[in-house]
Amino acid sequence: MQDIVKVTQLAKRFNQLTAVNDLSFTVKPGDVYGFLGQNGAGKSTTIRMLLTLITPTEGDIELFGMSLNRHRKEILQQVGAVIEKPDVYKFLSAYDNLKLFARLSGMHPSRTMLMDQLEMVGLAGRADDQVKTFSQGMKQRLGIAIALVHNPGLIVLDEPTNGLDPQGIADIRNLILFLSREKKKTIIVSSHLLNEIEQIATRMLIIDKGRKLVEGATSELLDSTQVVLQLNTANNSQALNILQGSSWADRLKPMREGQLILGLNRDEIPELNRFLVSMQVQVLLLQPRNNLEDYFLQITAGKQHVDAFTN
Amino acid sequence: MWTHLQIELYKIFRRPRTYLAFAAITALIAVIQVGLFMDGKEYTEFVMADFEGSFSVDGKILNGYFICYVILQLLLVHVPLLIALIAADMISGEANMGTLRVLLTKPQSRTAIVLAKFLASVVYTLLLLIWIAVLGLFVSMWVFGTDDMFLMKSSYVVIVKESDVFWRYAGAFCFAALSMVTVAALGFFLSFFAENSIGPIVATMSVIIVATILSTMNIPIFNTIKPFLFTTHMITWKEFFDFKVNDANEAIIGSIQNPDKIIRSALVLVAHIIAFVGAAVLVFRKKDILS
Repeated sequence: MQDIVKVTQLAKRFNQLTAVNDLSFTVKPGDVYGFLGQNGAGKSTTIRMLLTLITPTEGDIELFGMSLNRHRKEILQQVGAVIEKPDVYKFLSAYDNLKLFARLSGMHPSRTMLMDQLEMVGLAGRADDQVKTFSQGMKQRLGIAIALVHNPGLIVLDEPTNGLDPQGIADIRNLILFLSREKKKTIIVSSHLLNEIEQIATRMLIIDKGRKLVEGATSELLDSTQVVLQLNTANNSQALNILQGSSWADRLKPMREGQLILGLNRDEIPELNRFLVSMQVQVLLLQPRNNLEDYFLQITAGKQHVDAFTN
Repeated sequence: MWTHLQIELYKIFRRPRTYLAFAAITALIAVIQVGLFMDGKEYTEFVMADFEGSFSVDGKILNGYFICYVILQLLLVHVPLLIALIAADMISGEANMGTLRVLLTKPQSRTAIVLAKFLASVVYTLLLLIWIAVLGLFVSMWVFGTDDMFLMKSSYVVIVKESDVFWRYAGAFCFAALSMVTVAALGFFLSFFAENSIGPIVATMSVIIVATILSTMNIPIFNTIKPFLFTTHMITWKEFFDFKVNDANEAIIGSIQNPDKIIRSALVLVAHIIAFVGAAVLVFRKKDILS
C-alpha cells in the first residue's frame, strides 16, 4: 500500500543552525504516527516542512505519492493541521471561523454540515459565540474541527495537548482515537506528553538534534512485558541494602528523586512484593513507570542513532 | 482568488478597528463643516484680506465645492495613517494572531493569498475615499449649497465655474485614490517584515514623513531623487483645479493646465504600487513561516 508520507534525507538549515539533518521516515495509511523529541529537536520544523510553511534546504517530501514541491495545492486539499496553538480569528464566532476556513479549502459547506463538525468536537452549543470567550481547550477543539472540515485523509497535530487541563488532554486523546478507528484517518501527532503518545500511537519516530534516533511500530519499540518499576517503602535505604544483597540486585537501576527503580518482567512484580514483605520491608508503593518515558530518556540520553528496525 | 478576496474583505469589515477610520473621517469632516458653518464668514474674510481692493466677489465663496477643497487639503495628509492601520496589518496582524500559518496550510497559492490581501486593502482604501467624497463633497454641497468655486493659490486666485467643477472633483478623488493605494501598497509591503502591526504602521508613516520632507525641501542635493519619490506626486490631485486660459485670460471650460504632469505622476505612483506588491509577492513566496 502506498505510503501517505515519505520523507527522504530532509534537511533544514537556518544560517549556521541545522534544525533538521538527513531525516527520512514514512507514514503508512491508518497510522497514528507519534513524533517525539525533546524541545528543539526539530519536530515543529519538520512538521512545518510537511505543510509547506518552511522550505527544506535539502531532501524530498512526498505525500499521497505526489511531490510536495510540484503538487502543493492537491496535497494540501487532503491534509488538515493544527500547529502548536489553535490560532483562529478571535473576533469571529466558532461557526464563522469554521465556515471561513472551509471556503479556503475550496468547500461551500451547508450550516448543517458545519454544525455536525462542531458537534463532533463538542462545540455545537457555542457555535455562535466569539472565539475570544473560549477556553484554551475549546480553541484547541475548534482548531481540530477546522483541520477536519474538508475531510482530509491526513491530519497533522503538532503538540495538540499544549496548555490543556487533564480533561482537555483526555478529550483530545479520545478524539484522535475516534478519528483513527472510526474515521480511518492517518494522523501524525507530535507531543512532549509521552504517556499520551504511548496510548495512541501505532508507530513512532524519535528525533534528536534534527536526526532520527529510532522509528518503528510502538508495540515493537516498547516491549510490554518489560517494565520499569518504581518502589517506595517506609525505609528506602534499608530496602536498598536488602535488595543489593539478594538475587534482585542485578535488576536495580539508579535511584531517581529518592525512589528505588527496578527493571524487571511484569510477571515478577508479585514475587518481588512477596520477597520484600518476607524481609519485613513495609511496601508503600509498587508502580510500573511510564514505559515510553524510560525508553525515550534512554534513547535521547544515549544520543545513539539506531536504524529503523521495522518498516 | 475571488473567494479569497471575499474572505479578506469579510475579515476586514468584521473587525471593529476598521470602523475607527470611518469614524475618525466622519468626526474630522464634521468638525471642519461645523466650524465653517458657524464661523465661515470670518474665515473667508480673513483669507480674502490679501485680495481686498483687487476685485470684488459676487456670489457665495463658502459653498460646498470650496468646503470640499478645504477638507481634501486638510485631510489627505492624515488619511495615510488610517490606511496604514489596515494595510500594514494585513500580514503582520495574521502573523501576530498565529492565523498566518493556518491560512498557509490551506490549498491556496501564496501569490493568490498576497494578491487577495492587497486587493482587499485597496477596496478598503477606495471605500475610505468614497466616504470622504460622500461627506466632504455631497454633504457639503447639501449643507452649504453650490456656486462657482473660488480657490486662493499662493499668488493668484482661481475661479472655477460651477458647471466645470464636478468632473474636476471626480478626477481629483480618483487621483487621491491612486495616491492612497500607493500608501496601502507601501504599508502592505512592510507588513511582511514584522510579526506585530505596530512596527509596519510606524514604519509606513516614517517612510511617508521622510519622503515628504525630501519632496518639499528645496535643497539641490535632493532634487535628483524628488521626481522618483511617490510623495512628490501624491498632491498632484490639485492639478485638476488648474485650467488653461484663452487669449482673453478667460478660463477654458473643461481644460487642465498641465495634463502631462497628472499622467506622469500617475505613472510614478503605479510604478511604486507594482514595485511594492511585486516585492511583497517575491518575499512571501520564499518566506519561512516561523510564527
